[in-house]
Amino acid sequence: MDTLHNLAFGFEHALTWQNLMFCAIGCTVGTLVGLLPGLGPLATISLLLPLTYALPLDGSLIMLAGIYYGAQYGDSVSAITMKMPHASSIVACIDGYAMTLKGQTGLALFTAGVSSFIGGTVALLVLAVLAPVLGDVALLFGPVEYASLVMLGFFCVSFVTTGNLLNGLAMCLIGVLLGQVGTDVNSGLARFTFGLHSLDDGVGLVSIALGCFGIAEIAKQLDSREHRSPFAGTIKLMPSWGEFKRIIPSALRGSVAGSVLGLMPGGGPVIAQFAAYAIDKKFSKYRDEIGHGAIEGVAGQAAADEAAARTSFIPLMSIGIPENPVMALMMAAFIIKGVQPGPNMIPEHPDLFWGLVASMWIGNCFLLFLNVPLVRYWLTVFRIPYRALFPAILFFCCIGTFSVNNNITDIYITAFFGVLGYTFMRLQLDPAPLMLGFILGPMLEENLRRALLLSHGDFSVFVTRPISGVFVGLVAVLVVWQVGKFAMQRRQRSVA
Amino acid sequence: MLNNRDLLRGSCLIGISLLFAVPALQYPIGTVARAGPGMFPLFVSFLLFLVGVATVIRSTLVARAPMTFSFRNVGLILGSLVGFVVLSQTVNMTFGIIFLVFLAAAAAPPYSVVRNAQTAAVLLAIAFAFQRLFGLELNLY
Repeated sequence: MDTLHNLAFGFEHALTWQNLMFCAIGCTVGTLVGLLPGLGPLATISLLLPLTYALPLDGSLIMLAGIYYGAQYGDSVSAITMKMPHASSIVACIDGYAMTLKGQTGLALFTAGVSSFIGGTVALLVLAVLAPVLGDVALLFGPVEYASLVMLGFFCVSFVTTGNLLNGLAMCLIGVLLGQVGTDVNSGLARFTFGLHSLDDGVGLVSIALGCFGIAEIAKQLDSREHRSPFAGTIKLMPSWGEFKRIIPSALRGSVAGSVLGLMPGGGPVIAQFAAYAIDKKFSKYRDEIGHGAIEGVAGQAAADEAAARTSFIPLMSIGIPENPVMALMMAAFIIKGVQPGPNMIPEHPDLFWGLVASMWIGNCFLLFLNVPLVRYWLTVFRIPYRALFPAILFFCCIGTFSVNNNITDIYITAFFGVLGYTFMRLQLDPAPLMLGFILGPMLEENLRRALLLSHGDFSVFVTRPISGVFVGLVAVLVVWQVGKFAMQRRQRSVA
Repeated sequence: MLNNRDLLRGSCLIGISLLFAVPALQYPIGTVARAGPGMFPLFVSFLLFLVGVATVIRSTLVARAPMTFSFRNVGLILGSLVGFVVLSQTVNMTFGIIFLVFLAAAAAPPYSVVRNAQTAAVLLAIAFAFQRLFGLELNLY
């Protein structure tokens, strides 16, 4: 009953004309800026943060949250239509872009919109019911648990990769190694910087994503001289009943995965997308189609992305720990407004907390009603001939890279990864596992080293601690499953 | 080697593994309980090296497949990005944008000066909007 009472209190607070307006403005502006290739939620929030300085406390935070979700959705549009991802839409590039190549862009964008709505709604329930207690659960996770969880994440690589498993593993390992570039957090030693001080902070995720996906894709398109024309006068936007039925289970699976992973410090939307994709690839009835432009490949990851974006507010608001750079920026916004996120935030500012929770769902509704009718306008991008469009995409890649650190020389790094990504594509190496490795690698190293330091080098802690034991058990099950599958395939091949 | 994609892939993987393994050997390795900064990357590079070797061995067992690589297009794109940065730093970003559009467009014939001028004008307008509306520090003039 408490939850219902709190939610009603939140909606009462969020449904004022003023807050509704801030929410609508945030979602719209966020979507419009996020639509530009290369500008993801982080860049969008940092660009638009000054807009909120003059607003009242609750209005400014509601607007910032709206900007965040809007940018996330806008980002998925550029990923699906042009394979131009930012961190929040890397997985959307796989099946979403494959759907675009099949002329199903409208359907892919509709699926992303509806699935995001489902993800956001499920996450809202999780937030409302669990936020006050989940802060304590997050504290149960130490280095041992995180290291095991990340190991489990690595085994997702076998599901994320669309081609040969060995190639997927190789790309994942390259991603891990790229994640090692920069200053080692434990010793302070600059590793693999090759004398370049610009690499002291490591390689930017944005540079790798824009280079390996965006610029590499442009070069590939120019080679093949493909004339993509999904905009052929009529746009198939609404799915058939059969297609709609495929969206729901996948979106629900993604929502649950996203809600859980969003809670983990260091987790958040990126890992949630990969996990949801992996789950779909394992459990969906249409798993064989995933990777080649399946609805499930878009629905699950979009729901997980949205759900994780919502629940990633929990560690921030309940224990005061920002779990990713976007949340760190949100924390800065809270502090600028004189609110210190942490255990006292919910008791001290119940109107702000529950108002924000309620406005998240209202923002979801705005996004759904804003984006579904506007899908046909997003698609007009295909009316522009590719030879005129691609220099513009290159320009947006430059702006996207520049906006992260306001450093124009970062574009050299993006260009380098563009060439590397193109080479990988030509070698038939899929860049998606590389991103997974890049994100998880540093987390694994940091937690593994800490865990072994605390246990004096004793590996048994990974099995004896209950939460970690469950993760290790799941890894073992996945390994046995994968080996069994491989052996069966070989046997079938030799019989044939 | 461009006529054997699998062999090239394996060689690339081995090359990348060595690129990281050799510097990793220079860093303190430490012990399992107190791992140094070199231990984890060395272990990962070793795994990548093994995958590379497996790929090279596999390439000798399967039919050769050629690899295509358009040096011209990659060169044009790379050149346009590098030119954009250099001109933005030395002159201003307006020149950088014009250079980027006019050079990159050569990768998609037929080349049209009018179309490139239109594209550059639109991008300049967008850059100007970024600068004015969002306060992005673009040195357009």
